[in-house]
Amino acid sequence: MSGMYRYDGTFAGLLTLLAHILPNRILPYSIIVDPLLQQSLFAEVTTIETDQEQVEEFWAELTKRLTPSCCNHIMRAFLADQTGRELMICRYLLLAWEVGKKIGGMLANPHVTPLWKLSQQVGGETHRYKGFVRFQETRGGFFYSAISPDHRILSLIAPHFAARFSDQHWVIHDMHHDEGIVFDRHRRKWLILPMESNHEPDLTPAEERFQALWRSYFTTLAISERENLRLQRSKVPLKVRPWLVEFSQGGGEYGAQMMPSS
Amino acid sequence: MAVATDIMDKLEILAEGAKYDASCASSGSFRRNCDGIGNAASCGICHSWTSDGRCVSLLKLLMTNICIYDCAYCVNRRSNDLRRVMLTPAEVAELTIGFYRRNYIEGLFLSTGVVRSPDYTMELLIAAVSSLRQEYRFNGYIHLKLVPGADSLLVQKAGLLADRVSINLELPTPESLALLAPDKSREAVVGPMRQVNNLIVINREERRASRSVPRFAPAGQSTQLIVGATNESDRQIVTLSEQLYRRLDLKRVYYSAYIPVVADTRLPVRSTSPLRREHRLYQADWLLRYYGFSAHELLDEKTPNLEVDIDPKTGWALRHLELFPVEINLADYEVLLRVPGIGVRSAQRIVRARRQGHLGIDDLAKLGVVLKRARYFLTARGRYPGGCAMESSLLRRKLVGGQSQQGGIQLELPLSQPQATDERISLIAGEL
Repeated sequence: MSGMYRYDGTFAGLLTLLAHILPNRILPYSIIVDPLLQQSLFAEVTTIETDQEQVEEFWAELTKRLTPSCCNHIMRAFLADQTGRELMICRYLLLAWEVGKKIGGMLANPHVTPLWKLSQQVGGETHRYKGFVRFQETRGGFFYSAISPDHRILSLIAPHFAARFSDQHWVIHDMHHDEGIVFDRHRRKWLILPMESNHEPDLTPAEERFQALWRSYFTTLAISERENLRLQRSKVPLKVRPWLVEFSQGGGEYGAQMMPSS
Repeated sequence: MAVATDIMDKLEILAEGAKYDASCASSGSFRRNCDGIGNAASCGICHSWTSDGRCVSLLKLLMTNICIYDCAYCVNRRSNDLRRVMLTPAEVAELTIGFYRRNYIEGLFLSTGVVRSPDYTMELLIAAVSSLRQEYRFNGYIHLKLVPGADSLLVQKAGLLADRVSINLELPTPESLALLAPDKSREAVVGPMRQVNNLIVINREERRASRSVPRFAPAGQSTQLIVGATNESDRQIVTLSEQLYRRLDLKRVYYSAYIPVVADTRLPVRSTSPLRREHRLYQADWLLRYYGFSAHELLDEKTPNLEVDIDPKTGWALRHLELFPVEINLADYEVLLRVPGIGVRSAQRIVRARRQGHLGIDDLAKLGVVLKRARYFLTARGRYPGGCAMESSLLRRKLVGGQSQQGGIQLELPLSQPQATDERISLIAGEL
């Protein structure tokens, strides 16, 4: 029975899959999303169709068996951009089904350690991106920001920005995973949509002025006698700098226009 | 465009004047966005880091760099030949909102030189902040400086608008203050600190009775000390901090290494590694606030200064080897916290994990506990991983040797020794 399983790549899909295998204590050989992967030639693939009713039932059971912080670990690990995270969650839950809530403290267990460490990475990146998002005011009447995080953190940062900037239309575009959050200030709702990048945003004059002010302010703020570029680089890795106003010259070159692709 | 350039100039000059204030925290307050813009996250958020590795969280700005005082350590002192400018309250508010909307900053840190009189200056600050809170309905974080000598009613008003208020002590002893800041009295600085503390206590009581009472400085108050401009020992400084935390319930004491570029005749020629000293003081400060240490444990008459090549906790442990090694499966949380190399998070994880079974050395590594220093001070299931005798000088050699590959922290300054001239230039803006 420990064959290969395929689901649609959504969290609900994974929960449906888990609802199938956990009661039978099956540890799959692998869990895939893409049906065309080469390994699938050599093993039989069980395809799981997402079933909303089953998802709700299973989620209720999960929250009963585990503490809220363990459920959060699972959600954050799922959002990690790492292959094999589904199996990691599987192993964790198989153990959880045996030991119950005690699993929260079993930090050194080989089935538990990888999961909380991954969850911690995702949580850390979520926190950093609450600071690293830079909005640009566009002539289209909304504030646009492009980011390129390692993990799929959009759904984790959305509530923060929705609460903070509830009086402006804004878009945060994840260029790495080709999706974005769109916030509508009238309805006060956010939505995650697939997004492509092709156009530079059309910036307002005020935007360019504030960017210039910010760059000059940022440069002034450094105390040259205390210069420590190594420390700066550990705090602001080079890979995030193209998206930060204070580390790039002039506006617009990295921008893109929101364009739902489906 | 003339207006824009004007603002650009002012922003540059006033940021230049404010940047030496070490306070950067945006944590400790929680403010909801009620139908305006912004909120305050209780964890605090850093938005960027400048090339000196310090974080940018708040828009750190002076209202003006005009000052009637002549404090020797301050760039904005009256006798310094500087271009003097001033922002209007409306300009401060506009800049703050413009930056905040773009998510450059977490809020505003507004300080100032003293123009005309303390009361007049304090009123300017309050005008800027109330414009933000009332006209722009800004609910983000605001850190407001109190001007020494300002009327107590104004202090109260400031605390109702800001999340955190602060007044910088700057010099640890009244004697140093008299020497370097002859226009200020110790009482003018400590008086408002005491008043703020009383108001916070009263406000807490009132809010317990009714939640509708507006909050007074929900993120408390902080202060800053300049280190190395005068001859105080670390023991004097750490003891002072301890008193500030215990008696005045301060949230933070910041330490700012005084960096002499050209010596003032009033300033002593001091240590060659001011940043290392600053770093050790911050470590000692953390031990006071989060690790249950008291000042007299870290420093006494025999050792009035913190050791340069070893952190204060390790130094303490080496003086008290009779308490070590501790068994991680049995030791209380408070005891674990005192093991060098084990921090709050590691200690919490150990306590949580050992409930589910005894921990070995390998398990510690899995929990993310760094063993570089800790290995010499603990046992796991009775096994001592240090691999050498528990002997003070031997351990010290091993620990100091292991510190050469420290990452990220810069402890030395690439400075030549200051030359004594008549010119007075200093790098610390202790504008208040």
